[in-house]
Parts: sequence; structure tokens; C-alpha cells
Amino acid sequence: MAMILDDRFFDKFGVEYSPNEIIFCEFEPGNEFYFVQSGKIQLVKLINNREKTIDVLGDGDVLGEMSILEEQPRSATAIAVDHVKLLKFHRDNFDALMQGNPQMAYKLLIIFSKRIYDAKRRLMILLLEEPQLKVMDVLCMLAEEDPHLDLQNELSLQVTPQQVASWAGMAEVDAQKELTHLSRLDKIELYSDKIVVRKIREFQRLVSSRRKKMFS
Amino acid sequence: MASGTSADTGIISRNYKSGSIIYFEGDKSEYIYILKGGRVILTSVKLDTGEEIKEEVRQGEFFGVKSALGKYPREETAQTIGDTIVLVLNLADFEKLVLRNVNVVRKMLRVFSNQLRRIGKMQRSILGGTEEINPDVELFKVGEYYYKNGSVQHAQYAYKKYMEYYPDAQYAKLAMERIKAIAAGQPYPDASPGPSAPPPRRPVEDEDDDSGFDDDSGSRRGDDDFDSFDDEKGGSSSALVDEMDDFVSGDKKSDLQDFTFDDSDLVESLDESEGGLSVKFSKAAALAATSKFGDALKLYQDIMAAGNVKAPQEKKLQEEAQIEAGICQSKMGKMREALETLSGFIKKFPQSENVKKAIYYIAEIFDNAKQSDKAISYYNRVLNMTPKDDFSKKAMNRIKQLQNG
Repeated sequence: MAMILDDRFFDKFGVEYSPNEIIFCEFEPGNEFYFVQSGKIQLVKLINNREKTIDVLGDGDVLGEMSILEEQPRSATAIAVDHVKLLKFHRDNFDALMQGNPQMAYKLLIIFSKRIYDAKRRLMILLLEEPQLKVMDVLCMLAEEDPHLDLQNELSLQVTPQQVASWAGMAEVDAQKELTHLSRLDKIELYSDKIVVRKIREFQRLVSSRRKKMFS
Repeated sequence: MASGTSADTGIISRNYKSGSIIYFEGDKSEYIYILKGGRVILTSVKLDTGEEIKEEVRQGEFFGVKSALGKYPREETAQTIGDTIVLVLNLADFEKLVLRNVNVVRKMLRVFSNQLRRIGKMQRSILGGTEEINPDVELFKVGEYYYKNGSVQHAQYAYKKYMEYYPDAQYAKLAMERIKAIAAGQPYPDASPGPSAPPPRRPVEDEDDDSGFDDDSGSRRGDDDFDSFDDEKGGSSSALVDEMDDFVSGDKKSDLQDFTFDDSDLVESLDESEGGLSVKFSKAAALAATSKFGDALKLYQDIMAAGNVKAPQEKKLQEEAQIEAGICQSKMGKMREALETLSGFIKKFPQSENVKKAIYYIAEIFDNAKQSDKAISYYNRVLNMTPKDDFSKKAMNRIKQLQNG
């Protein structure tokens, strides 16, 4: 859902980054926010002195949105994965920008809504206690995110064990252990770049019943 | 439920009887509502505690916005109290409305961004990141991380931003050196002595004063906080001990003086039989673990007093014994002695990694004495010291609790 804007707009607010270039750095004061026009951006954080990927953004996404309303230290480092084109706006221009482009204001609301849901969904994974369930819930989340998937049937998720570990907030070896275990039970099939899940519904049921018991 | 359409806007208004459900948690729908008259209660479940939260919608306020816009299931149940009128908007209506009222968007974005920040905070605390941070120090650490790991381009970015935003801060000089070193193609100065390790091991860092916790001026002199721990041998004029007078008053004082070591027969028998300091230390630790603090204290003091100690391990034991002795005294309610022992430790071993532990227990003494301001001030010092460990976490928790009530 890339923003449809004319070239004049890009001339004025456009910025470009080469692969591996930092767009902004965790803890740097943030006064600008960005709309992604093209390219991929990796968001990483240093957690316990290790770099962890928390998200990858692409066309139509917004970046640095937490600084729209007030100056905030950046909560993550944004690194260009490939050649990236962004529209960059200073907070001071926000009102003018919204007045002139109410369409963009509306888009921001949608992006924020999704962001909040996604963040909550990820938090739900982290709040689970057993590593086995965390890993299952990561797969559930990924399955739910893709509206084209048929959850009644076997499905294939484009995800690596490393990414699963990162979503689950676990060490890679631990996540790998859980995945291997699930694959021995023939619940999933492991590939280097994807995971095939036999019955995602079963995982969903398990996770949701455990979640209900968590507070009772 | 009755519906009507307003002629000029095309927006539907709907009447509900008391106790009606407008939508259930888990429903999927693209409708957004505005409360026009009556009352609506939103009931949701808190993610981290399972607690039920009820929120009342104010008149004229939107509800059901996020789930409709984000196209995900409702996260709350909306129920009416009393006869209620709501306006029902589909996404197209909402978009039209919003496009005419950018201020509404601004308000919503503020609410949304606060929610995002709260979730982010919870996430960080679960993942074990630190919650309270100094962005300048952290920014420098990001540079250090990338430099150490060979990502010089990223390191350079972080150091330059550090210089741009914090040219007068603690690591400015070091950041400048790093920038030059990287430009000269030098690798990270591995294990070089002095400032290369980002957290200088000083009991209290300079930015401590920015923390907003005011300490009594008497306990602070100049830029070196721990001047205040200076104590003439045997004298009672240490500023810290003076602070103690604030709460160790009258009757309490006599309580403190009552304590004697008379009941330490047990210690005597254990004491002489086996000689080594480490044996003594384990015995003391075992006694302390079973709350026999008086006996433990005696042993710790013996260890501290042992002469002719040369082996580094034994010296280390003497060091630790002093902290443990202070903790025992504190547990026994001998606050003044505890403070003197602990501050004496900091004075004697300013480079020890246990300085943080000592400060933590000093904070705890003030905490137990209900001297919240001082407790917070010392907990805050703990917080400002690296590395982040259990003491940082505990200090953080206590600060929060003290500040909340």
C-alpha cells in the first residue's frame, strides 16, 4: 500500500539510503518520522548485549512514528537492508502535513492500529511460560497474519528457526530444540527457509487453553 | 434496537436498551461507533495479569476504532447502561469524517502512541532489557557494541550522533577518540586499560545529580559523592552517620545499644577448631542463612581482623566479610553500625565490584527506616552503576514502589 504521491513531494521530502546504512540509531533523540516508499528496513535492538531483529519493514510502512508527537529516544536501530527510499518529515511539519494530506493522517491511524495489535500479539507470546508453547504461538501468529492461508489445512510459513527464536524471545538453541522436538512428533516439517505446519488449529487450541489457565 | 439515518451525513444512529451488547470481544466487524447519549462500558482483560478492566466511554467519544481500522477481532466487549444512542460508522464514513477533522486524528494518534509505548515497556521488561536508562550512555554503548563486533560503519554513526547530541556528556572525549580511531582504520582497542571499558568503575557516576532525587546537601560535597563517606577513625562525624540521626532517635538508640555477643557460645566452639578464613567464611554464611546474624557477624569480624593476609583469595574474603558484616548488623537492627561498616567498606575498597552491593544495602537500611527520599537516592546510585544485575533490578523495583506510595 505504497503512498501515491507525486514527484514534487519526493523532491522535497525524499531521502535515500544504501544497503547496510543506518537510518537512525537506538537511543538517538528522534524528531523525524518516515514513510517507506521502497526497499526493506531491518529494525534491531541490543538486548543483553546481543543484536536482535525485532521487525522488517517495507513499502507503505511508517518508521519512527513514536516521535510524531514528542521527542523520544529511538527504541530501535533502523538499518537499510537494500536500497531504501523514504519520505522524511520533522515533527514540526506534522500539522501542516496532515492538513495538506488528510489521506496520510488516515493512513497513519490505520498503521498505528495494526502496530498496536501486532505488538500486543507478540507480547502474548512472551507472556507464555513454557518454551514449547511460545514456539507454537509464534507459528500461530505468523499463520494468523497471512489472510491468504487456509488454517484448516497443512500450511507453509516462510520463517527461519532464528526468526522464531527472536519472536519468542528465546535463545536460538532453545528455539531450535523445541522445533526439532515438534518435528520429531511430526507436528511440523523443518526446512532452512520455511516451516510446514500440519495442523495449526491444534496449536491454537493448545495455546489458548493454556492462556486461559494462566490466571486462574 | 431502533435505527435511523441522519439525512445530511448518511450516518446511522442506533438506540440500545440498558444492558445491550454492542459488540463482543472476539467479534470481527468494520463498524466504528460514537457515543451520542447514555452510557457504554468497555470490558477487556489485561494481558499480563488476566485482570478485568472496565472503561467508560465519554459522550462524543469514538469506540471500536482500532479493531475496525486494523481489521482484527474486537479486544473488548461494549455494553450499554441505561438507554443509549450511538452513531454507527463504516470505514468509508469514518474516513470521510477524519479527512475533514485532522484534529481528531491527532488526538487519536496521541492515545495510540501512548498505548504503543506502554506495550513496548512491558515487552522490554519481559525480555530483560533495562527499563530506566540514560539515552546518552546507551547510545555510546551501541557504538561500543558495533565497534567491538566489527560493524565500524554502524559504530561510527552511533559515536557521531553521540557527539552531535551530547557533546558535553560523560563519554564525549572517548567517543571522539573512537571516531578518530575508526577513521584511521584501527580495530577496537581490546582490553586496553582505563577508559575503554564503557562503565568506569566509580562508585557513583557524575550524572547522578541529574536524577532528580534531592539528597541533603550535608551528605554531598563537591563532585565526589563518596567524600561523604570519609570518616575519621572512630569518630562519629561521618555525614552518612549524621543522616542516621534523623531516624535513630531516642528509644531506638537504646535498642541498638542493647545488643551483646554473649549468646555466641556456638561460635566459640566452631571458631578455633578449623583455621582457614574460607572455612570461617562458609560457617558465617551458613549462620547468616539461618538468621543467626549475631554469630555470623562475630565470624565475619574475625575474618576482617585477621592479620598477615597475603593470598589474593583471602584478601577477597576479607573484603566480602566486611559487606556481609554490614548486612548482618542491618538485619540485627544495628543501623548505625551497619552504615559505618558499609560506608567503611566503600572507603576501603573503592574499586571493588562489591561497592554496588554495599550501596544497595545502605539504601535498604534507609528503606527499612522509612526514609524514602534517602532510600531512593541510594537505590538510584545503584541503578546508575554498571553492569545491570539483580541489584539494579531490585533497586528499580524499590524505587517504583517508594515513588508510588
